[in-house]
Amino acid sequence: MNLKQTKLQGQGQFRDSMPERVSVTAIFWTFFRVGLFTLGGGLAMLPVMRHEIVLKQKWLDNSDFHSMVSLATAIPGAIAVNTAYLLGRRLGGKQGLAAAVLGTILPSYIVILLVVWILSPFFKYPKVAAFLRGCSIAVAGQLAFAGLIFGRRSLGKWQHIIGFIIGLTLIGILKIHPIWGIISVSIFGFFFFPYKES
Amino acid sequence: MKNLIELIMSFMIIGIGAYGGGMATIPLIQQEIVNSRKWLSIKEMGEILAIAQMTPGPIAINSATFTGFKVSGIIGSTLATIAVILPSLLILTFFTPFIMDRFENNHYFIRFSCGIQVGVTSLIIFAVYSYGCGVIKGWFDLAIALIAFFLLVLSEKKLHPILVIVTCGILGLIFY
Repeated sequence: MNLKQTKLQGQGQFRDSMPERVSVTAIFWTFFRVGLFTLGGGLAMLPVMRHEIVLKQKWLDNSDFHSMVSLATAIPGAIAVNTAYLLGRRLGGKQGLAAAVLGTILPSYIVILLVVWILSPFFKYPKVAAFLRGCSIAVAGQLAFAGLIFGRRSLGKWQHIIGFIIGLTLIGILKIHPIWGIISVSIFGFFFFPYKES
Repeated sequence: MKNLIELIMSFMIIGIGAYGGGMATIPLIQQEIVNSRKWLSIKEMGEILAIAQMTPGPIAINSATFTGFKVSGIIGSTLATIAVILPSLLILTFFTPFIMDRFENNHYFIRFSCGIQVGVTSLIIFAVYSYGCGVIKGWFDLAIALIAFFLLVLSEKKLHPILVIVTCGILGLIFY
């Protein structure tokens, strides 16, 4: 246990707001609950995680939680999974992170398997298919809305807009793989975007 | 066997490129699963996206579990789900011991991250066109998409997006 404390303190800026000991089982079930009761997507999980971990269980304080989420958004991959990793690691080391990640993934894995295994025959029913079709069209509207939000937030200066046009040309017209598109725009941004205080 | 390897590769690519939340992942999923591997039609992808919104879990993970199962049963779904989170886990494993400073104030990180945000915006706008063309097949479809968009704009931060999706589902139910 001494070794674990020392290792965690080596994280520099992260203030040590951790309680004495958090059991791996508690970590697992907390994240499982978060995973199970959040519908609709990874970003929606973050406030629920915060509620459980900061407010309810009081395992961490707000600013520690916030810095974990910031780091999690910087790493590629599902934000919920990255956040679970970092929180779990902070609360219980290697076992903690395994428990947190598993707890987060398992509900969705089980539910989707159930849906696809038991319910997919029903997708052929005309009314069900009609309902799903309406929903999938709504997703197109949702994408447009997401575009609005991202655009509002990220396209502040004309350099950003140039970057945006470059991205759109690369991905939409030249049809390069989306990943290369993002990398190209980030490199462009790294060199040409004005530096602003955050 | 070949299918399993392809599943793992495709979902690792999706896992590595999944930046900026579920919506930004959609064009990647479309690129890999519909255009490239052709495991799902755009209509089927639309269905899984609809279902993913109504079930727990990030979209990338749900798509992995679903597509994996469709391609290769339970083994496929397990491998695909692991594959999609593997890149993040690996990156986190190698980087976390080295985070020494509050990196969010690091100016290299800020510039890079602005660039990524802009890139993701391009990606999402492209997806509106690409995914939109795939699922919207007529004026009525377009109307539903616009209704969804405006409902979301008006209810920003007040209503859970699921309500909008289900509303459009019900519209579909009534009119299709």
